[in-house]
Amino acid sequence: MSAVADTGTVARGRLDLKRTAPTTNRLDRQRFHWGSVPLLAPAAVLLVVLFLAPVAYSFYLGLTNLELIGPTSRHYQFTGIDNINYLIHDVVFHQSLYLTAFFVIGSGVIGAAGIGLALALAMQKALNSARLLVGAIVMVCFMLPPITAAILWYAASTSGGSLPTLFGTSSSDFLHSAPMVVVSAANAWSVTGLAMILFAAALRNIPGEIIEAAELENSNGVQRFVRITLPLLKPTIVTTILLITLLSLANFTLVYLMTGGGPGNATMILPVYSYQQSFTFSHLAYGALVGNVMVIIATIFSALFVYFSRERRQRED
Amino acid sequence: MSTTALEATAPGAGRIEVRPRRVTSGKTISNLVLLGFGVLFAAPLLWLLFASVDSHAGATLQWPHFTLSNFSGAASSQNMQALLNSFYISLIATIISTVPAALAAYVFSRHHIPFKGPLLLFILMLAGVPVTIMIVPVYQEFTQLNYLSLVPAAIFLGVTSLPFEIWIIKNFIDAVPADLEEAARLERAKTHHVLMRVVVPVALPGIAAAAIFGFINAWGNFLIPLVLMPDPSQAPSPVALFGYFGGNGIHYGEVAAYSIIYSVPIVILYLTMSRLFAGGFAQSGAIRG
Repeated sequence: MSAVADTGTVARGRLDLKRTAPTTNRLDRQRFHWGSVPLLAPAAVLLVVLFLAPVAYSFYLGLTNLELIGPTSRHYQFTGIDNINYLIHDVVFHQSLYLTAFFVIGSGVIGAAGIGLALALAMQKALNSARLLVGAIVMVCFMLPPITAAILWYAASTSGGSLPTLFGTSSSDFLHSAPMVVVSAANAWSVTGLAMILFAAALRNIPGEIIEAAELENSNGVQRFVRITLPLLKPTIVTTILLITLLSLANFTLVYLMTGGGPGNATMILPVYSYQQSFTFSHLAYGALVGNVMVIIATIFSALFVYFSRERRQRED
Repeated sequence: MSTTALEATAPGAGRIEVRPRRVTSGKTISNLVLLGFGVLFAAPLLWLLFASVDSHAGATLQWPHFTLSNFSGAASSQNMQALLNSFYISLIATIISTVPAALAAYVFSRHHIPFKGPLLLFILMLAGVPVTIMIVPVYQEFTQLNYLSLVPAAIFLGVTSLPFEIWIIKNFIDAVPADLEEAARLERAKTHHVLMRVVVPVALPGIAAAAIFGFINAWGNFLIPLVLMPDPSQAPSPVALFGYFGGNGIHYGEVAAYSIIYSVPIVILYLTMSRLFAGGFAQSGAIRG
């Protein structure tokens, strides 16, 4: 079989030599075709005009005195680092950074990824019926559009809602007494499904022989988890956490409907602050600057995600 | 609950025989953990179902006084128009994202272009950047061009799905052997014939999955229509749902009913998409806007 294939390639090689004698155009190397250009053009144009250009434009707008209404809505000008100076000393922005970190780490990393991992591990040993039922419920929570998730959790935590009633204080409004906890729980509830399904898939890929070998060595469950399962899951854990960070960072809808950033500024995460500055207080330029901060943060996490998922794929190959 | 019952119904019974008996306590704990979380996750969903058919619906989870009036109330002409607007927006966004994504994905999968690897990684990185949050520059661009309406907003929503759709479709085309195309080329088929008659049919599941992703992404977005579509008659369902929360006294029954009408199509589309991926969602790594 291989001999036949070999003679085949040799024969073809000779043929090529005859045809294209001493040129550098080797036929076994792929070359650029002009036919690629029209196929790439639509995507390239759309991405440049409506993705990259707005990002670049936003970095410029952040350094101007543009307003939504009033004289500077039309005749705005470059004001240098004035906005950045204001940003550095803006107490609400500092609070917003802290709240965003709390939201992302608390609800995304600890909440969603933690619960997702616990569910995926429990699913391995659970009854088939329990696994299918709970898996379906958690996935539906993930599939629901953000505004629906926001409505469910608004109803559950507002005064007269299920949560206050459950804790025996039905008239109290949890969106006032513990707003950050409630919006974080809501976010965790809506993204856990993604973590669960990614972890479940990774757990299925762990070969049973390794676990069985460890069992023969008289290891206990904790040892097997810490020494085998966790190290093998680590690449998936890293990429899942980064993915969930990106999802949580962008969850404007949930927080905006439930609290609007309030009460006070108690839930003013960055996307809501950017929106509020731009369209409620009409400081478009400053809103753009806050948006730029967020895009820089997201780009860093996204680049990390690309790096780690590539590394994981290379290890699997 | 006896342990024998657990083992009898568990899948892959052959593997369990090998294992020591003590894992059964682990199994009980696993089932309890799973069911405990199941109740926590199900409670808000249960409220949605019960409130939608409850004539006395409030914010608390309670057994419904059955009625269908919430659904007839939620199906007001204004709300149905919003649903239709959502459909238009999502349809435009899907077409705007999927057709260019499929063409680009084909080039990335089959052709040789300079800097292909870095370009692909850059596109994957773009897929993670939540550009919808950076609404100000797009608002400013569209204001100057007098574009603040449904179609331009929908096109922008489509572009936000474009990077990830390129990846979805590229992965599908990668899995298709190139022999078919080479055979077609040997028969002197034109490039567009190769694309339409050979590549598209075999890559169709991937294109469909990408299209569904684009549709879901546009259907769920609230911020873009809120800012880029000031005309109330063009408002899609998320904006209509948000409208229920403006004044005092929220009509929870109607909100729940309309939420269901608005959300069910998306859940169905997600299930369709998971069918298209052989390995389930894990490969899709779905990202929402």
